[in-house]
Amino acid sequence: MFTAKKTVSRLVVACLALMPIVCADAAAADVYLRADVTTMTMHDGTQVTMWGFAKDSSFGAMDGTVTIPGPRIVVPPGDTVLNIHLDNNLTAAATGLSMGHPVSLVINGLTQKLTPVRHGAAPYPQYEGRIRSFNKEAAPGNASPVTFSWYDVEPGTYLYFSGTHPQFHVQMGLYGAVTKNFAAGQPYEGVFADREALVFYSEIDPLFHSMAASDNYGPGKAMSSTIDYAPKYFLVNGESGTTMNRVWTGAAGSVLIRFVNAGLMPKCPAMQEHYMEVVAEDGFAKNYPEARFSMVLEPLKTKDVIVTTAAPTEIDFYDRRGYVSIQATPSMGTVMLAQ
Amino acid sequence: MQPTRTGAILGFALALAFLLAVGPAHAIIEGISGTNFAFSARAGTTSFPDGSTMPTWSFCQTGGDFQYPGPTLKLTAGQTVTITLKNELPPQAGNVSMVFPGHKVTATGGVGPPGHLVREAANGGGTVTYTFTVPHPGTYCYYSGTNMDVQIDMGLVGAMIVYPSTPGQAYDSADSAYDREYLFLETEMDPVIHQAMACAQAVTVDTTAFFPVYWHLNGRSAPDTMAMANADWLPAQPYNCWPQMEPGERMLMRIINMGRDTHPFHHHGNNATIIARDGRLLQSPGGTGADLAESDFTQTVACGSTQDAIFTWTGEGLGWDIYGHAPTDPTEPNEYTPDHGKPFPVTLPQEQELVFGGLYSGSPFLGAPGYLPPGEGGMNPYGGFAYMWHSHNEKEMTTNDIFPGGMMTNCIIQPPGTLPAP
Ligand SMILES: [Cu+2]
Repeated sequence: MFTAKKTVSRLVVACLALMPIVCADAAAADVYLRADVTTMTMHDGTQVTMWGFAKDSSFGAMDGTVTIPGPRIVVPPGDTVLNIHLDNNLTAAATGLSMGHPVSLVINGLTQKLTPVRHGAAPYPQYEGRIRSFNKEAAPGNASPVTFSWYDVEPGTYLYFSGTHPQFHVQMGLYGAVTKNFAAGQPYEGVFADREALVFYSEIDPLFHSMAASDNYGPGKAMSSTIDYAPKYFLVNGESGTTMNRVWTGAAGSVLIRFVNAGLMPKCPAMQEHYMEVVAEDGFAKNYPEARFSMVLEPLKTKDVIVTTAAPTEIDFYDRRGYVSIQATPSMGTVMLAQ
Repeated sequence: MQPTRTGAILGFALALAFLLAVGPAHAIIEGISGTNFAFSARAGTTSFPDGSTMPTWSFCQTGGDFQYPGPTLKLTAGQTVTITLKNELPPQAGNVSMVFPGHKVTATGGVGPPGHLVREAANGGGTVTYTFTVPHPGTYCYYSGTNMDVQIDMGLVGAMIVYPSTPGQAYDSADSAYDREYLFLETEMDPVIHQAMACAQAVTVDTTAFFPVYWHLNGRSAPDTMAMANADWLPAQPYNCWPQMEPGERMLMRIINMGRDTHPFHHHGNNATIIARDGRLLQSPGGTGADLAESDFTQTVACGSTQDAIFTWTGEGLGWDIYGHAPTDPTEPNEYTPDHGKPFPVTLPQEQELVFGGLYSGSPFLGAPGYLPPGEGGMNPYGGFAYMWHSHNEKEMTTNDIFPGGMMTNCIIQPPGTLPAP
């Protein structure tokens, strides 16, 4: 994850330009993400075309695997800088569309100077001037990495996702989690947890994906809007068809569970027997954690909870809104091992 | 001014019939107590004010009437409770179970295939027994932990209240003291799911397409929420939801969201102080009382979650004397005295210019019913103030597209001395 030389040279430039004092002795996390196309098999055998992120060892290495959600980015304690070097392989050839898609990156809760991109006159003159990306873009098939940098990475749980056509790209799967601990065993200053697990929610409307993959989504095409969004698959850490999920604590003590919702619908993570202490929301530690057995997790929301047990324990939970994938049979899904 | 003309005699008589709901033995939250319960999950029929009847599944007392929602369990902190659940649901329902969030439950008997949340009562008369203690007072819930996408919408939900040893409190804190308590159990129904399950088409119902058009409080849609409890024309829905209080009293609102959507429950009339969620007082570590309580006028409770709030009302802030007193008149109990004798700031229109609602008493003053044209008003014989309490997701104030209805009731502030003593 560290490429010290490159980091230093880039930081020098960044520091001169932006915030020299903070950067003076900051280490940086460097991640090489690639946006690419993959196919996912749902629990009922349905194949869905997804766009997602892979983590490569370097730009152009293409040695990572596209996953839904994208690779979790862990910023080490003490690092305040995150650099994501983006390789965009969403070309016309890879996507099967008449043109490739640019991709940008945003992380709500972490600041970066956004440079929005507007539509030009082509190919849709009627949309000229309209913003299509919240941030600078990596063009499809970019020959060199486009680097997105955040200089104020605070401890917390965050969501990264494509800031380009987000109504399209987020549905397609271009999202993942960013986490940072304050220190080992200390997710936030003064908040302690022995182990942790990540629970990442997202959704798939297969009709949208098939229309997108067949170039039938867009202005003037058979599907011109996402207004009829109707997800049929509800994913927990990319797994469809589960009706409940389990964290195995492995030992007595406290487990931090980081809940992230990249879906378009609110969730209500509910615990069966345990109370969860809601210790943080949107990457901010709460002064007064609240004990809950169910809570709302809105789209784009992150909430961190701590469950403390006196013995190794199975922590069962589910979305109390009752949304489970179509044709799901009772299923626990892959047990998450708290680590 | 103390209007004393009481018109609308007919309406008065009708409304008295409604008010009998409060009755002398005022178990304002109806429910059952004990430590051993025999429950059956059964199919029955509920009815709603649009004239519809809905195939419904619910938890009932074995041998008792079908009822929706399930019986409200009224328990005492420290008790150990045993509930034996029998599955009398039709074959298409499959297995059924009960979960009690926030409690460590021991389940014996029944079936427990891998991937299931909890041991279940098998279809065809199977039973399972749940045992648990209720160490902490508070507002809780129970619901089916089996095929929740279907069974919760079908009606398999209920309330569980654990009382502390101190009477008149919700928790072991004086901040939770109350004069009257009311339950607001929120649910909704998508008739497509109900019709499909009634037709035994369980395998084809797409619960991801969930689109409710019925919304309930304690199992009833408005205006049935304001009919008496155990009304004989609602045999499957014994619980009403008609909060009433006198000025100066503390009303405890126990709000439980058993639905799949959240409902912004808005109480006109005043803010309430949220003192607890999920059965835990909002108290800081080392603090005393509900020192983290919040004041709010719209309470949105997470699905599967509970919330307790204290609502009070004296008329403070209105800027006029709610009794229509002259400055020399004596004060009423708990009157907001800074406004004593202050005149009503509006010139009332003539009767010919008014449209009368059933809850209009004929005057703007508390406890002072006034003239009403024949056949108008009549549901407010004591001259109380009516505040509509409802889901402020306004479409949820309908019953299958008919307004008014749905998740709505009226809180009536009754004049001093008219309600049975708390
Ligand atoms: Cu209103």
